[in-house]
Amino acid sequence: MLGYIVRRLVSAALVVVLTSMFLFLLFFKGPSDPARPLCDLNGKCTPEKLAILTEDLGLNDSVVHQYGIWAKGLVSDREIKFGATFTCEAPCLGISYRTRGEVRKELVEKLPATLSIAVGGATIYLVTGVLLGTIAARKRGTNMDRGLVAVSVFISAIPYYVVALLLWIFFSLQWKWFEDTSYHPLTEDPLAWAWALVLPWFAIGLTSSTAYARYSRGQMIEALGEDFVRTATAKGVSERAVVIRHALRAAIVPIITIFGLDFAFLLSGTVFTEQIFQIDGIGRWAIQSLRSPVDFPVVAATVLFAAIIVVVANLIVDILYSVIDPRVRLS
Amino acid sequence: MSVVGPSDVIQGHEPAGDGGMPTRARRRKALAGKSPTQIALARLAKDKIAIVCSVVLLLLVLLALFAPVITRAFDIYWDISDPAAPTPSQVLEYDGFPAIGPPFHGFTWDHPLGLAPTVGYDNLAYLLYGLRTSLLVALAATVLSTIVGVTLGLIAGFSRGVLDKIISFVTDLFLSFPYLLGMLALAPIVVSRFQGNLDDLARAQLFTLIGILVVFGWMGLARLIRGQVLSLREREFIQAAEVIGVPTHRILFKELLPNLVAPIVVSISLGLPAFVAAEAGLSFLGLGLTGTPSLGKMVSDATPYYSDYPQYLWLPVAAITLLTLSLNLLGDSVRDAFDPRTRR
Repeated sequence: MLGYIVRRLVSAALVVVLTSMFLFLLFFKGPSDPARPLCDLNGKCTPEKLAILTEDLGLNDSVVHQYGIWAKGLVSDREIKFGATFTCEAPCLGISYRTRGEVRKELVEKLPATLSIAVGGATIYLVTGVLLGTIAARKRGTNMDRGLVAVSVFISAIPYYVVALLLWIFFSLQWKWFEDTSYHPLTEDPLAWAWALVLPWFAIGLTSSTAYARYSRGQMIEALGEDFVRTATAKGVSERAVVIRHALRAAIVPIITIFGLDFAFLLSGTVFTEQIFQIDGIGRWAIQSLRSPVDFPVVAATVLFAAIIVVVANLIVDILYSVIDPRVRLS
Repeated sequence: MSVVGPSDVIQGHEPAGDGGMPTRARRRKALAGKSPTQIALARLAKDKIAIVCSVVLLLLVLLALFAPVITRAFDIYWDISDPAAPTPSQVLEYDGFPAIGPPFHGFTWDHPLGLAPTVGYDNLAYLLYGLRTSLLVALAATVLSTIVGVTLGLIAGFSRGVLDKIISFVTDLFLSFPYLLGMLALAPIVVSRFQGNLDDLARAQLFTLIGILVVFGWMGLARLIRGQVLSLREREFIQAAEVIGVPTHRILFKELLPNLVAPIVVSISLGLPAFVAAEAGLSFLGLGLTGTPSLGKMVSDATPYYSDYPQYLWLPVAAITLLTLSLNLLGDSVRDAFDPRTRR
């Protein structure tokens, strides 16, 4: 078990490091001069200004050296010269080219919004999805079951951002039920926080819960046909206990796998969610930082952050696996 | 899926006793079995949803294919830099809204779906060319990622050993990396590289987009094929081929590949709508295409005008929905038709 976790951690770290190296290579060794658009930002770009910027961005050094500086900043304090000189505490992700603020601080500021959307949305779709799937499996063959499957197939066939956009158009623009969907901190006003997030949660929940309902229905139908369910029923275990404690426990393992694999999808989903509902989170920040001139430290930070989240989520799912399903042996 | 399925035997079995000895020719005809692909196609032909979706898709493909003809017939343009196109000042009011057609004027045959505010291109022309882009990108990405996925899956599954380990690791590596991030990192670099030249930028964006979709689109199929090959290569017909000394590339492409038709077809039919959605989604975020007409870009262009000009937004939303919905439902039908476990 421990060996497995160590091995997985090493490969996870490898993914993250490779990702960040790839980014650096693209940006600094890419075909364009990264200093040029920055130079055009404030007033006319003179050769002197360009030379100073090139020096400040470290473009005179080799890309390996720059990567070394950046990577070192993750573990120790770093001095950054960009116009003025900034001291950036560890773990340092650099200084935003645009706001000149510390990227890590901005990341931490924007984290709660993204986290609220992702965690709230995931909780909603997982619970409703499994619940609906279980009910559909119990009532297999009835009109309700058929209706649920049909609705699920239909909604899954439409891209997520179209569903979110339609919800925003109707509920926010047309009927003005949830006009303000911008983020309110949970600690300041829990009610405003929840109210503003209802629509984003609903959008995520609607698309994903229908898909999860379909998975869980299939898994539950299979589980309910197993011998141990018949045995439990024959023993006189109540139907509720048979469904929840016996069948659901067997059916939930593959659903958790799908949930783990879906994490990347959930993350890209939040980018759309934030963009459509105009929520100031990490996804929207990343998109904004891409407008020319590219705010490279922000792009690097957001990509790194997302890569870490996805890798860690996959790891947790694999470990959870062995806890839920005793048949699974990690090796 | 086996080379000779049980269905072949059942299909070929005919009740005896239709008087006299059947001639050799007749007997051969009666025994002609159906291949699994034929069975799947017969199933598809009976599926009402699949038929409806195919008709809708055929219509959309024809519209996209004949976009130049249709736009010429209506004398409409999506590219306002075209010398024949009316300049924005000719067709727009001072407030940026169109001077003819919706939202403030009646319907006109000159611009059946109206004009875009501020930029002044024709909505029908843009929609048709956007559809063309969607289908082109999705088709190219599907074909390329299928080739990559099948090849790597075949190699990994057949070679086992170190090569399999390496390919499997790379597959997992790409699987844990969301494609959106790749585009996030690549899009600005392409834009800044080709900033000066708009034509080159448009082409570069198109290739980058297809490239990204392929790079992040092959893993699922590679895994599937690898798994299938791992079990297929233990079968007698492969062992027999190996024993009589059939060269490896022949075993891969002539013996294994024909047995993998079903997963490949299913993966293609479900990959197309996914790529259509991805292209439109990336362009909607401003990470995909900016110089080429794209349904996703039209959505993001039209969103700010919704309260005054809702049709402008409904057009691309309806087009994306129709396209992905029919592709997805058809894909589901294809999957069911090729799945030997589905009973109807």
